[in-house]
Amino acid sequence: MQVTRLEQILDLIKPLPRKTLVAAWGVDPHTICAVYQAISMDLIEGILVGDKKQIYQVCENEQIDPSRFKIVHSDTDTEAAAKAVEMINAGEGDFLMKGLLSTDRYMKAILHKEKGLMDKGAILSHVTVAEILTYPKLLIFGDVAIIPLPDLNQKIAITNYLIKVAHYLGIENPKVGIQAASEQVLPKIPSCAEGAMIAKMAQRGQIKGAIVEGPLGLDLIVDKESAQIKKVQSEVCGDADCILFPNIEAGNTFYKSVVKLMKGELCAIVMGARVPCVLTSRGDSEMSKLYSIALASLLSGEKK
Amino acid sequence: MKESIRSLEELADYVRSSRRRTRIAVACAEDPNTIASIGKAVNDGFVEGILIGSGLKIKEVCKIEKVDSAIFRIIDIRDEMESVSESIRMVREDEADVLMKGLVGTDKFLKAVLDKEKGLLPEKAIMSYVCAVQLPRYHKLLFISDTAVLPYPDFNQKIAMINYSVAMAQRFGIEKPKVALISATEKVSDNIPHTLEYAELSKMAERGQIKNCIIDGPLDIFLACDPQASVIKGVSSSIAGDADVLIFPSLESANSFYKGLMLFAEGELAGLIQGTIKPVIVMSRSESAASKYYCIALSCLMGGER
Repeated sequence: MQVTRLEQILDLIKPLPRKTLVAAWGVDPHTICAVYQAISMDLIEGILVGDKKQIYQVCENEQIDPSRFKIVHSDTDTEAAAKAVEMINAGEGDFLMKGLLSTDRYMKAILHKEKGLMDKGAILSHVTVAEILTYPKLLIFGDVAIIPLPDLNQKIAITNYLIKVAHYLGIENPKVGIQAASEQVLPKIPSCAEGAMIAKMAQRGQIKGAIVEGPLGLDLIVDKESAQIKKVQSEVCGDADCILFPNIEAGNTFYKSVVKLMKGELCAIVMGARVPCVLTSRGDSEMSKLYSIALASLLSGEKK
Repeated sequence: MKESIRSLEELADYVRSSRRRTRIAVACAEDPNTIASIGKAVNDGFVEGILIGSGLKIKEVCKIEKVDSAIFRIIDIRDEMESVSESIRMVREDEADVLMKGLVGTDKFLKAVLDKEKGLLPEKAIMSYVCAVQLPRYHKLLFISDTAVLPYPDFNQKIAMINYSVAMAQRFGIEKPKVALISATEKVSDNIPHTLEYAELSKMAERGQIKNCIIDGPLDIFLACDPQASVIKGVSSSIAGDADVLIFPSLESANSFYKGLMLFAEGELAGLIQGTIKPVIVMSRSESAASKYYCIALSCLMGGER
């Protein structure tokens, strides 16, 4: 099944064995409600690592049955993050979720050299999947949150993550557009130059499982007519599944435009660690949180 | 041109039948190699030879080489550098169509050609070298750059090399030459910086920023010139073993490649300096008599349409 709407991610994981989420410092209503919703829809199992008292209090306030979770006590947020990561490494959970602790502390636990979740040389990056009313398919893009100015090798890693997510979503040979200031190769603009390099790598089979074109302006990536006017012939143009952004400003601005200007919905996960990690923010909608949990759950299993 | 020139013999035929005499000014034309090759071109009717150098020595060499010195216009200048500057002046002031190097060091000769005020290179132009190589075992001519001038071409120099090679191939009647950017592998890797540039250059051609050609690279020589190799390696390429032009990453690689072909593969060549306002012939003494003749013929082809 090829997914074209975020809701369908739920359908994708329903028939699969339930995966276990581990929430680091999952003591706040936002986290607890999101996890609870996924559990009550029978999508996942959930472990909350955090202050027991606080968790029970929130459950009471939100009228949630705390016995639906496994609760592991921790006194502080830092300790909870370390414990959650330890549980993942011990095989007690399948994917991680951030609770009420700061992103910095959450990342620190993931990136910890000995006790973290990173294999040697792995690159941590953030992948978003967006559903936009004016575009006929989902758009998978990155990095909008973790790597400020990816170098060539990081861009290749991000491209591979985008492709991997697309594959999990049933998009067999996704079309990847490499966004840049111009579709022209302007050697002084790194995004243009590296766009050409990554496109050639894909053509040579060094990046597999996708059709990659770049450099392209955003207009050419999502609009066939713009590509025709500029005389760029590529099957990616106007039909892209994935977008690689050249830097965090470009990516983050697009991400926020999706939510605030396009009335789109999105979900996201952090990739590159041994397991997918959920990194929702309190401002995200209920559905966005649910889809993010579902996406992480999907990615923590074998690809169907 | 209606029909394309597919071999160096056809190149010679073409300039012989053009009924046009190209005026070639030869600096320090005092050695047997130069006099024999230019003499043949004059006798074949497509060149007017202007020999600049010691008149005495020129006539002596003519005698030894059994070339009638009366077929040349001889300008008696004994000083080497004066001879070079006079021949360059003649070309610049349209008293000659082509410049050719005789018995003078290539360094000194090119330095004079590069001279900002009195030389032959327009401001900011890039001097490079392209040669057309003919091989019994390749189905067409191969245009190769840079075999002689630029040691480590940078990005803009590579673009110039491509444009020069394409322009030359077009003069041979190849409308949209296929340009292969040569490396040791077809993979793009930041360990080999020129492969990154090659990816950019290929895309520039695709985007119409480099015109009149199809570019693909990095490719190795097999993928560039052997259609079977693409199939075996499973590399999809717009060139697919049918390259007209080979662009090399360095002088050593280009130079060794062409010399290997001359020595072991019965190759012949015709080469020219590029970037100058008029063709400049610089031949190595070790080249065959046929190749020298073809260099002169090539200068007539390239200098012919002005």
